[in-house]
Amino acid sequence: MLQMLVLIAFQVLMLNHIHFLGYATPLVYVAFLLYFPLNANRIGTLLWSFVIGIILDAFSNTPGLTAASMVFTGFVQPNLLHAMAPKDAVEDMVPTYRSMGKWNHVRYIMLIALIQEVCYFLLECFSFYNYRDLLLTFVGSYALTIVIVLTLESFRGRKT
Amino acid sequence: MRDFFDRLSANAHWFVFLVLEITCGYLLFQFNRYQGSVWFTQANALTGTVLNWEAKVMEYVHLADNNKKLTHENLVLQYNMNVMRDELTRLKKDSSYTEKVLADLLKDVHLIPAQIINNSIRDKDNYMTINRGELDGVKPEMGVVSGTGVVGIVFQTSNHYSLIMPILHSKSSISCRLRNTDFFGYLKWRGGNPLQAYIDDIPRHAKFHVGDIVETSGYSNVFPAGIFVGKVAQIHNSDDGLSYQLEVQLSTDLSRLRDVCVVVQENQMELDSLEMQSY
Repeated sequence: MLQMLVLIAFQVLMLNHIHFLGYATPLVYVAFLLYFPLNANRIGTLLWSFVIGIILDAFSNTPGLTAASMVFTGFVQPNLLHAMAPKDAVEDMVPTYRSMGKWNHVRYIMLIALIQEVCYFLLECFSFYNYRDLLLTFVGSYALTIVIVLTLESFRGRKT
Repeated sequence: MRDFFDRLSANAHWFVFLVLEITCGYLLFQFNRYQGSVWFTQANALTGTVLNWEAKVMEYVHLADNNKKLTHENLVLQYNMNVMRDELTRLKKDSSYTEKVLADLLKDVHLIPAQIINNSIRDKDNYMTINRGELDGVKPEMGVVSGTGVVGIVFQTSNHYSLIMPILHSKSSISCRLRNTDFFGYLKWRGGNPLQAYIDDIPRHAKFHVGDIVETSGYSNVFPAGIFVGKVAQIHNSDDGLSYQLEVQLSTDLSRLRDVCVVVQENQMELDSLEMQSY
């Protein structure tokens, strides 16, 4: 819960104002989905994704946009985690780079962020309104998001 | 039957997923039409309060910069005042007439000062939030101006905050004319440069030059006539070649704006209802 509030504040007060070179805005709130353990309730995951999405939408005047992409990501996240968790993982494993193995964890983060941002930008520019801009925005935002999320995650792994 | 219910509960997350996505889709596509959705935007009380704090902090940070700008503006205004005083003494015998025109122009207008607490200029559809709402007398469709010219139109309001659709929005369309002529058109923005907008459909026989002043026409009864919008930067032919298309250099830099005023026209309601009757 606290993590969620901090993430939302971080995204709304700082990151929403970043438009690196006019294109890239990091969408770091996706990190929220990385905190769900292996045996988390699927419906709970979906509802939490929806809630955080709606709150963020309220701050950026895009009702439904973030929420839709987060709900979809929250829907595939458990399958992804089951597929990528190590065979001998405990039932309530929380994915960190310790518990999953370094590269496996990085790959997991990159996939989750990729799914979320593809959904987000496809919905935002529903008509492929400007191919080049869309692609640049997507690639830039994705790269920035990954860098920031990995930094945050490295702190989290150290603490526990 | 048991089997059926087992299967149903095992797949319950599918139903939750679909319901949530449909809700999102509904919000996404209804937003621009459904005025009541203000609850989900920056104009609701909670987000408004948070953004207000942020704006206060940023205001402090930008204090020095703003001071410099104010001083500069003061200088320009003082200069303008001198020019106008000279002009007025020159036109002394007509002075009663000039005063009457000015008083007429602003007779039915009063201004509500407000501060921008959130602003975007990078998107295709930008919005601004100001810290005045219905309780302060702001209503949708009112005009918003700053010291340097037109800013936009109030889109949605809550009790204490309002959402503004600035010129920099794909659906924004403000009725403008060229000063000293009566040729008018609608000001549209096409994304990209936040200081550049276009006016279509200026007829071929209109006479004007690059550098002419563009002002509000007063036809839309959102803005009174004669508020500064910008200057003609370039003259193009329209796509069908039948009229001119003007590229306008906007006078207001929306990316560094903080203080604005909402324009209240006393008889706007009356005019609106009159026009509704005629349809």
